[in-house]
Amino acid sequence: MASFAATATALLPGGCGAPGARRGGRCAASAVALPRPAARTQTHYEVLGVGAGASTGEIRAAYRRLAREVHPDAAAGSGDEGFIRLHAAYAALADPDERARYDRAVAFRRAAAPVASGSRPRRWETDQCW
Amino acid sequence: MSEHFYTVASDSETTGEDKPQPSFPDVAIGIDIGTSKCSVAVWNGNQVELLKNTRNQKGMRSYVMFKDDTLSAGVTGAAARENGHEERDILSGSAIFNMKRLIGRMDTDEVVQASKSLPFLVQTLGIGVRPFIAALVNNMWRSTTPEEVLAIFLLELKALVEMHLKHPVRNAVLTIPVSFSRFQQTRIERACAMAGLHALRLMPEPTAVALLYAQQQQQLMHDNMGSGTEKIALIFNMGAGYCDAAVAATAGGVSQIRALSGCTVGGEDILQNIMRHVLPSFDNLYAGQTMDRIRSIGLLRIATQDAIHKLAYQDNVEVNVDLGNGHKVSKVLDHPEFEQVNRAIFEKCENIINQCLIDAKLVPEDINDVILVGGCSKIPRIRSLVLGLCKKEISYKNIDALEAAVSGAALEGAIASGVTDPSGSLDLLTIQATPMNLGIRADSDIFAAIIPRNTTVPARRDMLFTTTHDNQTEALIAVYEGEGERAEDNHLLGYFKITGIPAAPKGTVEISVCMDIDASNVLRVFAGVVKPQGPAVPPFIEVRMPTLDDGHGWCGQALAKTYGKTLDLAVLPKKLQP
Repeated sequence: MASFAATATALLPGGCGAPGARRGGRCAASAVALPRPAARTQTHYEVLGVGAGASTGEIRAAYRRLAREVHPDAAAGSGDEGFIRLHAAYAALADPDERARYDRAVAFRRAAAPVASGSRPRRWETDQCW
Repeated sequence: MSEHFYTVASDSETTGEDKPQPSFPDVAIGIDIGTSKCSVAVWNGNQVELLKNTRNQKGMRSYVMFKDDTLSAGVTGAAARENGHEERDILSGSAIFNMKRLIGRMDTDEVVQASKSLPFLVQTLGIGVRPFIAALVNNMWRSTTPEEVLAIFLLELKALVEMHLKHPVRNAVLTIPVSFSRFQQTRIERACAMAGLHALRLMPEPTAVALLYAQQQQQLMHDNMGSGTEKIALIFNMGAGYCDAAVAATAGGVSQIRALSGCTVGGEDILQNIMRHVLPSFDNLYAGQTMDRIRSIGLLRIATQDAIHKLAYQDNVEVNVDLGNGHKVSKVLDHPEFEQVNRAIFEKCENIINQCLIDAKLVPEDINDVILVGGCSKIPRIRSLVLGLCKKEISYKNIDALEAAVSGAALEGAIASGVTDPSGSLDLLTIQATPMNLGIRADSDIFAAIIPRNTTVPARRDMLFTTTHDNQTEALIAVYEGEGERAEDNHLLGYFKITGIPAAPKGTVEISVCMDIDASNVLRVFAGVVKPQGPAVPPFIEVRMPTLDDGHGWCGQALAKTYGKTLDLAVLPKKLQP
């Protein structure tokens, strides 16, 4: 069973979104300063390690393979964060409608917000569209 | 064996980290506590083995007999062995059974109401507190609780396992119905603690079956060098007290629970329907339990049960029994009549299967295998109904209907205890889903679901709320679980207040409520003000749920009446995203 402290620190950074999101300040104040996992900036495709053209079958297979690595039941000692992120990616891409919406959102954001140095793009879709 | 008075271990003792390291491999055992029968299984190093009691039974009747100063559970059947009339003794009023139907339920619950026709005493006040139950000892009702009864049973079960394994056991994986609330789950854990067992996992019954299926599929793939494509199974489990359905997608030893649904109908309801059907004056008969009436009902129950069992294999059956006091039952029952009398039950079964398919976003053609388990899966109408809905001719063959759940629990016990097997037969992972919506009360009596049912766990979701009054400085977070649209129609798990909300016009403050279920199925709720920000805002609150100990129906009404208006929150509509 995960200890209270481990769950609390694992929970708050993810649960409240990335810095810059509207709840970021609150989290920074209440969470233990934790190094941000680099994976937070990954796209769903990167999380699953598949190409943008991957078939639903490939996405399912990648999900199952990675679940064996990051699910807390399979990898003792790992937190929930990795699996929650993996499942969010899978849930968004395994459903054709969700996937189309995600692809559009990513394309739209790329077009609308040419990378401004210093400010991180808001990663709302990984946090709220699952 | 009658010396087994139970000892109450404190909750803190159940974690057991401070205990000296045992010299034996501490592999969790699997227990299936059935409404009617219990079974226990262990991983013996190579495979799952179901244990038998001294009477050579794998399925042991679930009851505890109260006699003078001795208590004895159905594991050994010691109390009944003396005269060899087990079933009649169980129905004498001296035994408490069906504890799985009663545990953690309020007296307003229809399942508790239906239990009032059982031979032991079930008293209700109908206000949302726990029912009073008692067993007949020397012509006197002696009070007990479902937790206590279950603990006594588990203690005897534990002794049986220890006798077999020749070392102490501590950890267990227990199967539970899908429709068990989190409050009921805490009652099961409590009963385990009282019996000196640590409930390592509580596993919904069909997901235990799914694990067994995943193992078999994995084995098949090894043997045939199969392609390892995903297989979808619909599991339907109906026992004496509960009915569950699940859809699981399995490939490469990973079993993903796509959807779960369950309800509180089972063989007990079928039995009561038939008893009322063959004896229309049934309800008068149990109003006020006298020795005569208890005996009459016992006789009717045995005769009816027997008839239902026979009807699974023959076209019609005769119920013929003299209940004494001039009451006689003589009736021939055939399938159309049986199905007519139990139509409402079969409809509920259909509903949960359809719900499961919709939630899993599947059509019947997507299903590869239909797995039928539980005692009621022998009923022809149940079989045809499930197979019909799934558009299949036959059900999956390689799973024993009565042993599947406990075998799955023992597998999970071995896996969760870190046992590995060179053949890879324990190289399995179940990705669970949460069976019921979890959320809070908002907008007066609306149930705002934060984690919807069938969300994969571990899971974490949050939702924003706002104040409903100008300058509202406090808000009540009442956490519920269930399927009802109104908060009142769901199970209250606990409550707490957020205080020190900065004074502001209504609708401007943002309060975040985040729910987190970890891999051990522990639910935590985090809540606090997220807008405005700054040092003037109180710290977040973290609460492990359920916090409620008892009387939740009563408590929910009191909360709504006293604080429903003043401390209410409103769901903040999702902002349009850029």
